[in-house]
Amino acid sequence: MMTALPRTAGLRALRDHRAAWAFGVLLVTWAAAILFANGFDSVSSVRYLTQTASFLGIIAIGQTLVVMMSGIDLSVSSVVALSAVVCAQVSAGHGGAAGILVGLAVSLLVGLVNAVGVLWLRVPPMVMTLATGTIVAGSLLVYTNGSPKSAKIGLLDSLANDRVAGIPLAFVLWLAITAVAVWLLHASRVGRYVFALGTSQEASRASGVPLGVTTFIAYGACALLAGVAGLVLLGFTATSSLTMGNPYQLLSIASVVLGGTSILGGRGHVLGTVAGALLLTLLTALLTAWNLSEGVRQMTLGLLIIALLLAYARERRT
Amino acid sequence: MPDALAGRLRGNLDVVGLGALIVVLLAAYSHYDSTLFTPASITILSAQFLPLILAAMGQSAVMLTGGIDLSLGSVLALAMAVFAVTADHGVPLAAVCALAVAAATGAVNGTLVAFAGLPPIIVTLAASFLWGGVTLIVLPQPGGSVPSGLVKAYNDGWNGVALPLVVVVAVLVVWKLVKTTRFGLSLYAVGGNEHGAYASGVKTRTVKISAYALAGVFVGLAGIGLAVQTGSGDATIGAPYTLNSIAASVLAGVSFFGGVGQMRAAVLAALVIGLLTNLLLFTGLSPFYQLILQGVVLIVAITVKTFATRERTE
Repeated sequence: MMTALPRTAGLRALRDHRAAWAFGVLLVTWAAAILFANGFDSVSSVRYLTQTASFLGIIAIGQTLVVMMSGIDLSVSSVVALSAVVCAQVSAGHGGAAGILVGLAVSLLVGLVNAVGVLWLRVPPMVMTLATGTIVAGSLLVYTNGSPKSAKIGLLDSLANDRVAGIPLAFVLWLAITAVAVWLLHASRVGRYVFALGTSQEASRASGVPLGVTTFIAYGACALLAGVAGLVLLGFTATSSLTMGNPYQLLSIASVVLGGTSILGGRGHVLGTVAGALLLTLLTALLTAWNLSEGVRQMTLGLLIIALLLAYARERRT
Repeated sequence: MPDALAGRLRGNLDVVGLGALIVVLLAAYSHYDSTLFTPASITILSAQFLPLILAAMGQSAVMLTGGIDLSLGSVLALAMAVFAVTADHGVPLAAVCALAVAAATGAVNGTLVAFAGLPPIIVTLAASFLWGGVTLIVLPQPGGSVPSGLVKAYNDGWNGVALPLVVVVAVLVVWKLVKTTRFGLSLYAVGGNEHGAYASGVKTRTVKISAYALAGVFVGLAGIGLAVQTGSGDATIGAPYTLNSIAASVLAGVSFFGGVGQMRAAVLAALVIGLLTNLLLFTGLSPFYQLILQGVVLIVAITVKTFATRERTE
């Protein structure tokens, strides 16, 4: 009896801290990569991984905010392309600063439209964001006539590629955004509202949680961060494309869920998402290192995601 | 039974409303294309609309159980690829292979949803990666070998019979039969009230898995139809069908929470979306506007639906 009690308590603690699981899986995978694959033991590989994980990570932080209040944002892939394409287009005529500002502004606008649809039109988040994503993708086709521009903007270039004390600046940006998100979600009043709404929308409304403001903040921040990621990607590749955001649709949601946040909302931690994004980037890099064909790579990544979900992201049966 | 009566009325309002919309669209259509009601036009149009109609039926079947299938587009492309690759071993064999593969993918999705306690959104989103990868392995480059005789008969009419139309009608008849079985009733029961259904002895897990598998069959047929219509397979062609099948189901009044909705309304809604898209092309706008139109139609449809339903219930 005396030994059984702490053991079940320990198990429950593990189940309740699934974010810690994410870091555990990340460490084990990283160790395995260093032991069994070539090229994962160097400082430059760590640098490259943290740099490329930042693009996904920044989007996933925004996705976490939305998922935590039991929403979902399926428009992030389009918003990533939107901010990059618009920034490249505008900066060609009006300079880089204007491009960056307009890129961020249109991204934020998409987030606000998402919030309006979810809030006032009462469209389910999944449908609303899928629809705005499609509209944005279509608008980009019309705006660029199918051929988006490339652009080299000094600020974005250094943001994506430079280092501070050996650490990629993109990673520093990601960590800074994460710090703000940790404060917003786990220390501020807005964060408590988000968790309350994610647990039970009816109960929160009845007890006076401001649904409107919280929804606008969550969806606005999510789209804005997708826009930031689009700009950093533009700096990284110096070119924009209509499909550049596509891989991040599933991966951002997978980062959140593999980071231990419940897809149904109300449970989880932003830091788990950081581990989730690093884990997925590491897995992608591993699959690339093994020289697999595109099809096999996609299939394996899908299988791995499902396996990891089964391992520790299952919902308790109600 | 006032509830049942109101429910039936609401369902028929969907069908009547969509029917009226289609009449208006057809009138506008015949203004641009005077040959609309000739057998040739009907054959071509039904070949063009068949994939979306069947995809919408598949999506609706899943949504009736309270689920959602975001991997629908990938499965459609997979069935198309399997059919195109195996077609030179005989069309019936290829069709059986494609349908078996599509049904199996559905069963896998359904099993993960039913047994693993993973929400349908996440399962099918991850599965879309999985099946997309498998499709690329089956058919890395667009191509394949669909017999040209079949392509011609399908698109130009076979002895004056519009084959795609026959397929859609046949599938609807099959659904009608399925709906009267124990499984058909359980489908609605599980979507309407899962705990209640379980308590009254419905094997909710089996029903869910079967629903996803049945959706796989519908989507597989859609993929085969698309392969025969275009004469080849293409791994990347499926993506738009995910959004459009959800749009059609929502437009048809199939509830996101399960248990409510009618298959014939889903067919009509898919027709509306198809006709609208074609009309847009007639107006001379760039096809780039298609995506914008689809997104707007989706938002408008579900908003109208939400507010109309609310007024009726309050």
